[in-house]
Amino acid sequence: MSWDLFSSAASESRNAALARSVAARDTDLFPMAAPRDGWTVAAVNAAARELVESVFPPMWVTGEVSNFVRARSGHCYFSLRDEDAQLRCVMWREEARRLPTTPPDGMQVRALGRLSLYEPRGEFQLVVSDLDRKGEGLWRLARERLRLQLDAEGLLAAERKRPLPRHPRSVGVVTSLSGAALRDILAVIRRRAPWTEVVVCGCRVQGDGAAAEISAAIRRFGQARCADVLIVGRGGGSVEDLWAFNEESVARALAESPIPTISAVGHETDITIADLVADLRAPTPSAAAEAAVPERGELRRETAALARRLEDGVREHIAAGREQAAGLGTALVRASRAHVADRRAALVEAAGRLHALSPLAALARGFAVPLAPDGRVLRGVREFAPGAAFQLRVADGAVACRVAP
Amino acid sequence: MSEPTLEAALARLEAIIEEIEGGALELDAALARFAEGVELVRRAGETLDAAETRVQQLLADGEDWDLRPLPTDG
Repeated sequence: MSWDLFSSAASESRNAALARSVAARDTDLFPMAAPRDGWTVAAVNAAARELVESVFPPMWVTGEVSNFVRARSGHCYFSLRDEDAQLRCVMWREEARRLPTTPPDGMQVRALGRLSLYEPRGEFQLVVSDLDRKGEGLWRLARERLRLQLDAEGLLAAERKRPLPRHPRSVGVVTSLSGAALRDILAVIRRRAPWTEVVVCGCRVQGDGAAAEISAAIRRFGQARCADVLIVGRGGGSVEDLWAFNEESVARALAESPIPTISAVGHETDITIADLVADLRAPTPSAAAEAAVPERGELRRETAALARRLEDGVREHIAAGREQAAGLGTALVRASRAHVADRRAALVEAAGRLHALSPLAALARGFAVPLAPDGRVLRGVREFAPGAAFQLRVADGAVACRVAP
Repeated sequence: MSEPTLEAALARLEAIIEEIEGGALELDAALARFAEGVELVRRAGETLDAAETRVQQLLADGEDWDLRPLPTDG
């Protein structure tokens, strides 16, 4: 087992110095005289504990984890081991709560702790306050475990991804009120789509309780329905700073959100569980805002194109109407012309018939009509008195005549 | 909100255009849709010209929630 003091930079010489200081205290380990009946076990263990705790400063110890057990009390017990030795370790509940997950047997870790001695058993142990915060193995493992679980539930499936509204009236933001992420998001929305309303639900985005606040904020938006799309995120930070976005509660809140979600956690290279569950993963908060709202100029062009289509459509309609009306007019004229021609033919025919009946026709054939001076037609011999004058009407005029005396 | 959202306005505009382009409308119905479409275009333009982003804060209010203007740092 290798260990060093305070930091990984500590050297062998510091270890040697420590050994010398322990040796130097040999003589005054037990300043008071040994009791006559010998030391009690408890006193020995207490003295040993005091010695161990006073001599060794906190130290980082690297080794393999074995037999990691989380007791019902929340305290964790395990051993660190290497090829040659093992060291009992305990991690109290308060510290253990911050572990992202339990390390599996055989995992290489670094533990920060103080050496101590468990008096009831006389067991030498390392009281660990921090495990593997520097290395990312445990965090990566926790994330991977959660990812597999969510994947098995289908929560990461591509089919679950909902499309974002193209023109949201309101954009919800779940982030810290004091963070750069909110400033960036507001700046982008003001520039691209200033008519959009922004609703912010402030929450802590790192540290104990952050995950609970983030998921509560996401759920509150779901309840209030006061946004058409939701941006959930924060600016860049260490793996530990971003950790809340790898927690199950945040993942579940995102998966259950009735509002489509965009995750925006840290920088381009940080991929969190939240990124996998959200409907869209944006590499940064600014990029999330860009994905959430359309750009004003683009939208103006789009609207202008729609207006053109609208005009063209109605113009075509009017042209079609005009064409139809013109067609009908032509048909009407043609129909009425035909009608007139028909009538004219009928008229000619009637005139012919009328002509056939006319007495003028008889005159034309050489007949003549005698008319009395008063215009009466003289139809019989008795009407012709001798010497009386009458007219004889022929086809082209009248001839004055007198009955022979 | 009585004003249709930009989303709704553009969707309606698109529907109107498709209806008109479909050619099945009577001319007077097409003209009525056209008038509606022109109004939508005008209002969309007004929306796009809006100057100020309104920023609200969603606050927990017991089991309930509340919206208040967020004081901005400018």
